[in-house]
Amino acid sequence: MFKELNPLLHSELRLGIMSILISVEEADFVFIREKTGATAGNISVQIEKLSEAGYIEVNKGFLGKRTRTVCKMTQAGVAAFEDYVVALKSYLDVKQ
Amino acid sequence: MEEKNLNEQESLELISQMIRNTKQRLEDGSGLPFLIWGYTTFFVSMAVYYFLNKTGNPQYNWLWFGIPVIGAMGMFVSQKTKQKHSKNYIDRVIANIWTVMGIAAFFTSFSAFFVRIPVLPMMILLMGIGTALTGLVIKFKPVIVSGFIGMASCVIPYIIHDNIQIVVFGFIFLIMMVIPGHILNYQRRRNHV
Repeated sequence: MFKELNPLLHSELRLGIMSILISVEEADFVFIREKTGATAGNISVQIEKLSEAGYIEVNKGFLGKRTRTVCKMTQAGVAAFEDYVVALKSYLDVKQ
Repeated sequence: MEEKNLNEQESLELISQMIRNTKQRLEDGSGLPFLIWGYTTFFVSMAVYYFLNKTGNPQYNWLWFGIPVIGAMGMFVSQKTKQKHSKNYIDRVIANIWTVMGIAAFFTSFSAFFVRIPVLPMMILLMGIGTALTGLVIKFKPVIVSGFIGMASCVIPYIIHDNIQIVVFGFIFLIMMVIPGHILNYQRRRNHV
C-alpha cells in the first residue's frame, strides 16, 4: 500500500529547503539561496509556506545594519520529513 | 531550483544532493579561535614573566586577566567580520565544550583569590581537555594530539619552582593551540584552492 506523499514537501524548492535544514541545525537566507540557486522572492514565498505549516521556525534579526533571516526546522518539520522519506521509499520499493 | 513537482526518484536525488552539499567538511573548520587564544595566552604569559622578573612586584599578576579580555575581544571581532551562514550539530557541540571550559577556567582563577591552588597546571589541563575534545569532534589528528600533549604537560609547572614556569606555560599554549590552529588553517586553504 502506497503512502500519500505530503504535497507541501513534494515540490522541488520546498523539499530542497527542508533537506538543507535537516542536515544543518540552522541556516540563514543567504545560505539557503546559495545552496538552492533559487531567487530570493521564490525562497521567501516557500519559507513562508513551510513556516505556516509549522515545519520551520523563522527568526528575523540584525547583523550590523542588515537584516538576517535564520531558519530552523521544528520537531513537526522533522516528523513530516521522516514521513515523506518513508512514503518515498514505499514508492521506490526501497528495502527499509 | 523552482516550485515544481518532482517524481519520486527526483525527490530522493534532490534530498541526497542537498545533504551532500551542506555537509560541512572538516577542512571548513577554522583554526582562528585556537590562534586567538593561543597567541593571547603566549604573549600575556611573556609579559607577566617579564614584569615580575624585572620588578618583583606581584601586582603584575593582574595582567593575567588580559587573557580573557583580549581573547574575548578577538573572538568578537572575528565573528563580526566572518559571519557563518549556517550552524550544524558540530558547531553547537564545540561551542558548548568551550563554554563549559571557559566557565571552569573562570571558577578556577576566581578560587585562586581565596585558596592557594596551582592555577597554571589546572588551566593547562582544562584547555588541553577542551582542545582534545574539539579535535575528536572534528576528527582532526593534529588537534587531538596537541590536546593530549597539553594535558600531559600540566605536570611540568609542578616540577619547575620559579617564575620560569610562566614561560613554560606560554610555550605549552604555543604547542597546544597555535600550532594546530595554523595546521587547521593551512589544511583549509589547501582544500579550497
